[in-house]
Amino acid sequence: MEFQARKEAGGVVVVLGGRLDAVTAPEYERRIHELVDGGDARFVIDFERLDYISSAGLRGLLVTARLLKAKGGQLRFANVQGGVRAVFEMSGFGSMFQLDESVTAALAALS
Amino acid sequence: MIRVEHLAKSFGDVTVLRDVSMEINSGEVISIIGPSGTGKSTFLRCLNLLERPSGGSIQIDGVDVLDRKTDVAKIRQKMNMVFQSFNLFAHLSVLENLTIAPIKLRGMPRQEAESKSLELLRLVGLGERAADFPDELSGGQKQRVAIARCLAMEPAIILLDEPTSALDPTTVSEVLAVIRRLARDGMTMAIVTHEMAFARDVSNRVFYMDEGLIYEEGTPQQIFDHPTREKTRAFINRIRSFNRRLTSPDYDLYAMNAEIEAFCEKHILPRKTRESLLLLVEEMLQVYAPYLRAGALDLTIRYSEKNESVESIWETAGEPANPLDSDRLPDELGLSIIRSLTDSSDYRRVNDRNRLTLHLRQA
Repeated sequence: MEFQARKEAGGVVVVLGGRLDAVTAPEYERRIHELVDGGDARFVIDFERLDYISSAGLRGLLVTARLLKAKGGQLRFANVQGGVRAVFEMSGFGSMFQLDESVTAALAALS
Repeated sequence: MIRVEHLAKSFGDVTVLRDVSMEINSGEVISIIGPSGTGKSTFLRCLNLLERPSGGSIQIDGVDVLDRKTDVAKIRQKMNMVFQSFNLFAHLSVLENLTIAPIKLRGMPRQEAESKSLELLRLVGLGERAADFPDELSGGQKQRVAIARCLAMEPAIILLDEPTSALDPTTVSEVLAVIRRLARDGMTMAIVTHEMAFARDVSNRVFYMDEGLIYEEGTPQQIFDHPTREKTRAFINRIRSFNRRLTSPDYDLYAMNAEIEAFCEKHILPRKTRESLLLLVEEMLQVYAPYLRAGALDLTIRYSEKNESVESIWETAGEPANPLDSDRLPDELGLSIIRSLTDSSDYRRVNDRNRLTLHLRQA
C-alpha cells in the first residue's frame, strides 16, 4: 500500500495507492494515527490510486473517522471510483461519508 | 453380475482398448468418465457385443458371452442400451417403439405389451405422447422414450452411452432425472457421461478411462475430490476446482491470491469475476479467522465451464455452526460485502463438518 500525506489548503491530503486490505490496514491505521497525533485534524483521503479495498480497509477508515470526531476534526473522501466505489456501495459506506469528485472539491468543502 | 477381464479392442492398427478389467455388481451404478477417444463408448459396445472384442473375456452372470455357442440375442435382452442419438424407430409410434421388442422377442400378447409400455411411458412422464411419432418429440423426450423402451424388456442392466450429449442444455435435466430415478429404484447401470455433477451424485463407483484402460477407479468422492493419479487429476481439474487447506490464522493472503489468480487465468475467467472472487475469499477468510485458531479450513473453488459460474465451498470441523450467522461476526461490514458478491449461500452439516457453499453472483 502507498501512503503519502501532504499539507494543502489548510488540510492534510492523504493519497492511498494499491490495496487497503487485511494485510495493509494495520499499517494504514498506524500512519493515520501518527498524523492525527501530530495535531492534524482536517483530512481528505484521495482514493484515485487505490485499486482494492476490503472490509478490513473500511474498518481502518471508520477508525480514522472516530479518531477525528473525537478531536472535533473533519474527514472527506475524494475520487472514490471503480471497484473501491462498488465496495463502498456494497457496505453502505457511500451514504455514511462525504464523497467528493476531486481533492480540490473536498478541500473546499472542509470548513 | 458382469465380470470383464483383460478386454482388448483394436480397429485395424488402432488399439482403442488395451487391457480393461472390471466388475459390475447387481444394483450398482457405475459412471465412466474420461476424455474423448479413450474407448469409453467402445467399451460399452463390447459389453453389448455391438463390437467384437479383440481379446479378453466378458462374463455375464457367469456365462462367457464371447463363447461362439452363447446366444447373443438372449444376452442383449438382459442388457439393454441407451444411445447418444436415441435410435428410435422413426416409422413406429412412441408406443410401438416400446411394444415391438416384447411382442416379437418375448411373444408377449399385444394388450399386455401395450399396457406395460403405457405404464413405462408414464414413469418417464410421457404417457400422453404414446400415439405420437418420434419426429414430433424434442430430443429430451426422445431420449426418455428410449429409456422407457429399454425398460420394456425388463433388463438386468442398462448401458447408457452419453445419454445426454446430444441434447440441448435445457433438456438434459429431464433425462438425468429419469436416470436418477432408475438408480434410486436399484437398476444396475453403466453410464458413459460428461455430466460430472450427475456422475458424482448418482454413482456407486466411477471409472476414469484413459490410455485404453481403466486408469483410475473409486467412489465419486475419491475420483472427484481426491484423484490420485496424474491424468485423472488433470481431467477432473478442468471442470473444477481449486482446493486449499488452511491450518492457521497466519495464512499468506497474497500467496493465496496469486494461486486464485492463476486458477482464474487458466480458466479464462472474466476480470470482474476474478475481482469479485478475490474479494469474497478475503472477506470469508476474515470470517473464518476465529475458526482457524481451532482447526483447519478446507476451501474449494469450483468453476463450471458450462455455466461459467463460480462456487466456493468452505468446510470446517467442530460444533455445528454457520460462520455467517451475524451474531458471530464483529460487525456487518464483511457480511454486507459477502451478501452483495453472492447470490446464494447454503449452510449444512455434512459428515460432522460444517459446510458453507457460496455461489458468486454473475456480473
